[in-house]
Amino acid sequence: MQTTRRAFLGSSIAAALFPAPALAQGRARVVVVGGGFAGATCARELQRAEPRFAVTLIEAGPTYTACPFSNSVIAGLRPITAQRFAYDALRGEGITVQQDQAKAVDPLRRLVTLGDGSTVGYERLVLAPGIDFRWGALPGYDEAAAQAMPHAWKAGDQTLLLRDQLDAMPDGGRVVISAPANPFRCPPGPYERASLIAYYLKTKKPRSKLIVLDAKDNFSKQRLFQAAWQQLYPGLLEWVSLSNGGKVTSVDPSTRTLVTDFASYKADVANVIPQQKAGHVAEIAGAADQTGWCPIDPVTFESRLQPGIHVVGDAAIAGAMPKSAFAANAQAKVCAAAVAALLRDEPPSPPKLINTCYSLVAPDYGISIAGVYHPVGGQLADVEGAGGVSPLDAPPDFRAHEANYAAAWFRTITAETFG
Amino acid sequence: MDTPVPAIRGRNPQDIVAAMQGFRSGERPSTVMGRIAKGFSDDEIRAIADWLAAQH
Repeated sequence: MQTTRRAFLGSSIAAALFPAPALAQGRARVVVVGGGFAGATCARELQRAEPRFAVTLIEAGPTYTACPFSNSVIAGLRPITAQRFAYDALRGEGITVQQDQAKAVDPLRRLVTLGDGSTVGYERLVLAPGIDFRWGALPGYDEAAAQAMPHAWKAGDQTLLLRDQLDAMPDGGRVVISAPANPFRCPPGPYERASLIAYYLKTKKPRSKLIVLDAKDNFSKQRLFQAAWQQLYPGLLEWVSLSNGGKVTSVDPSTRTLVTDFASYKADVANVIPQQKAGHVAEIAGAADQTGWCPIDPVTFESRLQPGIHVVGDAAIAGAMPKSAFAANAQAKVCAAAVAALLRDEPPSPPKLINTCYSLVAPDYGISIAGVYHPVGGQLADVEGAGGVSPLDAPPDFRAHEANYAAAWFRTITAETFG
Repeated sequence: MDTPVPAIRGRNPQDIVAAMQGFRSGERPSTVMGRIAKGFSDDEIRAIADWLAAQH
């Protein structure tokens, strides 16, 4: 593949600078759990950094279904097949891809137990489990309820379920989205989803309404989204903030009803985005704290709770960095460089990381937020003066460029991670 | 790859330095690169350019 400017900017200065002497201790074993943007990138970067490393990627699924651009699938603009990626390229590079679940982690003996009962030993373990849901945190919303009121916050069957429910809804129906409190995967995601569902309704079912019930008063790229909604979807899309009673306090899946302190909303299609925590394996490894997420060292992404275990991607507490595929990919590169350095008994270099998140408010209307991050006082902090959102007053061609760049970013990052 | 973003691997390091400095100052128009380039010092830009030039 070609390396684009954007792909390169996800790489770390550390990766740029480390040399490649022979390993002192021979064939070090690194195990990566989770084959999403964080885990697959990390496995690849480790194997490339040191061909002598024995890198094992443990992933439960035969393929990965990507979340970025899955809102376009929900809106009927894109097939789900465009979201699916296999691990053949990783296998071709010498990585052992084991399709199984990690059932237990023994940090003292440095062993991972798999679903089939076998164990895999490691010198360094990288956990990239993404998110799990806090089932039951919202009364009425459990795994069974997600069939009636899909979350569609892990891409795959849930994405198709929400798409099919929208497709089956008659014109004039009411769609309700419940957006969670911070922190959660993909901060602009609920609002991109609202935008693209509004686009679907406007073009296919124009008598319908969309209500976003929010547990927050502020959200990512808020002014840009709201300006676009006013311009593109007036009277169709209504956002109800926390202060205006938007926080959903319970749901009834049998009637597709969402209840707030002030009202109850009966929906024809309900999308409930639940509260989240680090993926299960982080919990069983003892790498998650009382918040449910994983505290890490910002230079190495090593767990602050479990030496020898690193955590990257959505599961990590990464300071100012959002939980995004771009951030996961960048963190994975930094982590791989740090793990390689540690296994060579070399000091890891302090990294600088980038994130860029594009959102589509319509197919030809993109907006973005970007940030640059570095370790300050043990946390990843914004580099002052850098980053920010697209201009509020940009002309249509600027929005069209950003929509094109969004699609190009997806092609690039998925090629880099899986291709 | 089908992308509107130019490939930069193996590019002349002077070109990369000039582009990044132009993005950073705003002299070179961009959508997102200006926001990103502001996060990097001259030394870091130089390191990035040298690394990219070595990739092929």
